[in-house]
Amino acid sequence: MSTTALSPALAGKRVLICVGSGGVGKTTAAAALALRASVDGRSSLVCTIDPARRLANSLGLTALGNAETPVPATALEPLGVHPRAPLYAMMLDMKQTWDELITRVASPEQRERILSNRFYQSLSTALAGSQEYISMEKLWELRRSSNYELIVLDTPPTAHALDFLDAPNRVLDFLDNDAAKWLLTPALKAGKLGMSLFNRGGYVMRGLARFTGTEMLQELSNFMLAISSLNEGFRERARGVRQLLEDPSTGFVLVTSPHPERMDEAIHFHKMLKQHRMEVVSLVVNRVHPMPTEALWADAATLTPSRRAKVEETLREQHIMAEQDHTGIAQLQAACPGVPIIQVPRFAMDVHDISALWRTGRYLVGDETLG
Amino acid sequence: MAGLLDKRLWIVSGKGGVGKSTVAAALALRSARAGKRTLVCEVNTQERVSRFLERPEAGPEVAQLEQNLWAVNVRPQEAMREYGLMVLRFETFYKTVFENRLVRQFLRFIPSLQELVLLGKIMFHLQEKLPDGRWRFDTVIMDAPATGHAISFLSVPQVLIQTVPPGPMAREAQKMRDLLVDPAVTAAVLVALPEEMPVNEALELHAALRDKVSLRTHAAVLNQSFPERFTEADLEALGGHPELLAVAQAHHDRAAQAVLAGTKLERNLHAPVYPVPRLFTPEFGRKAIEQVMEHLEPLVTGAA
Repeated sequence: MSTTALSPALAGKRVLICVGSGGVGKTTAAAALALRASVDGRSSLVCTIDPARRLANSLGLTALGNAETPVPATALEPLGVHPRAPLYAMMLDMKQTWDELITRVASPEQRERILSNRFYQSLSTALAGSQEYISMEKLWELRRSSNYELIVLDTPPTAHALDFLDAPNRVLDFLDNDAAKWLLTPALKAGKLGMSLFNRGGYVMRGLARFTGTEMLQELSNFMLAISSLNEGFRERARGVRQLLEDPSTGFVLVTSPHPERMDEAIHFHKMLKQHRMEVVSLVVNRVHPMPTEALWADAATLTPSRRAKVEETLREQHIMAEQDHTGIAQLQAACPGVPIIQVPRFAMDVHDISALWRTGRYLVGDETLG
Repeated sequence: MAGLLDKRLWIVSGKGGVGKSTVAAALALRSARAGKRTLVCEVNTQERVSRFLERPEAGPEVAQLEQNLWAVNVRPQEAMREYGLMVLRFETFYKTVFENRLVRQFLRFIPSLQELVLLGKIMFHLQEKLPDGRWRFDTVIMDAPATGHAISFLSVPQVLIQTVPPGPMAREAQKMRDLLVDPAVTAAVLVALPEEMPVNEALELHAALRDKVSLRTHAAVLNQSFPERFTEADLEALGGHPELLAVAQAHHDRAAQAVLAGTKLERNLHAPVYPVPRLFTPEFGRKAIEQVMEHLEPLVTGAA
């Protein structure tokens, strides 16, 4: 039996982060990895983002919430395996996690001013990279405050790899923004915008105000004032997050599908991870079409003409899909030399049930292989 | 049933990876062939439409791809510049304010400003006129971002109207919203695949567009559908060939999924669903887009 690069990672890493474009099966891969690790004897937590409700159901939970929940043993019964260590699952609620973070770092009187400010709402929900940031911040928090041997993190569907890797910097930028300080200082000092018309900042501010409206800038400066005192706390935590991502006990699993566009995105993502000195344990290509074997064609030739035609048509289509996938995977390998690629076949039905998770896991560690 | 040709703004969205750009490209080609001056807008992304149609990249300025067909990749920096110039009028003033590195950095944090200028540019082209008074573009097709992002993108005008103090941003927002919610102007086309998550996302998108943007779903496209091929009798007859049966069964299941997905979409969207079959072409280029276009004929013309 062969093993893949994910097999030792499941046994040795403390954190695995599944990254990739949306719709490639990241959540499934993350759940499959945590399930496998717990069956093999390491206590594991899978932290997902917005999973299909059926994923929660297949883990024996009615819904996944922002708290870590043990997966009941009954959910795993259909597999006929008994996990040797507990499995936990949770779903990250972005807004709630942000609120918790602010509550943790802000003094009680600052807290309300920040939480109710509309710029905070935009920071916690809309600012590019803020979801990515909060999911990594949560990971760091979990890693510090809990004893799971393995945490598998699913990540938001990120269109641009940089949003993800750059997220801590962007959020710090937002909180400790030289531009904002420079522009708003005269306003802050005067307690009112537009007072110091003769300095450069004032001139630019008036131009901006024509663009956004004065009140908007006034509110933004209030927010900046309220949040600037939190910088030190944030800065320290962001450093912690960064260290965790670079730690040798942390690995990235880059998930993709054989679709050419997804492959391009995976290649770009891989390049970015390398540049940031993050370890890519493995590339996972999901939903690969297997090539029909010679035996299948020979068998099809024995059918009655009308059925033979239908079956051969289907085999031809499969052949084309398998060939497209194969070409794509070869290009992926050429673009990411030295990174192991694991292929997971497309399963007949589109299901998130526990046995599909288990089978996915078997391919991920190399119990089964494609082709 | 009115066809898309009766509308001026066609918004195409759906889950990531379902083929939004494919559908947008096919619709654009069809609109251009109907003699409509057509602009297809991609939103700050890797350009796909021009590639599918085997034309050079359009880039951030409107570029003509072929007769009656133009494309643009709307990007925040260029859109911001155009918007800034419109508001501030003077190039030098604009430069002092907006080409300042610190200001640029700062602008990123004004909520929804980026979305506002991106959407604003598209809406600007929708209202643009030729010297003789005709529309510069009869049809504007928006290859919108994927579900979650599309909802926040398209609801920006509504959100701004509700939250931003009166001012230039709020006024722009009001103008855009009026066009977006006008069913005589705008039609939303949701794209899905015959799989659980893409269908669910289409339903979520439908509900969110209805509730947050007051935008009605015009139709759905079920992309990469597998047509039914094997009958129950076929499957039974393959009983002696277990491996072939698995192949046939897999096809049968995918076809069944397509039927199921179509029904689910139709019931919940109260809008027609147009299936486009999975194409088996080695290269996905202009020929494939033309094939997709043929399947979308009733959606475009409104003919039954």
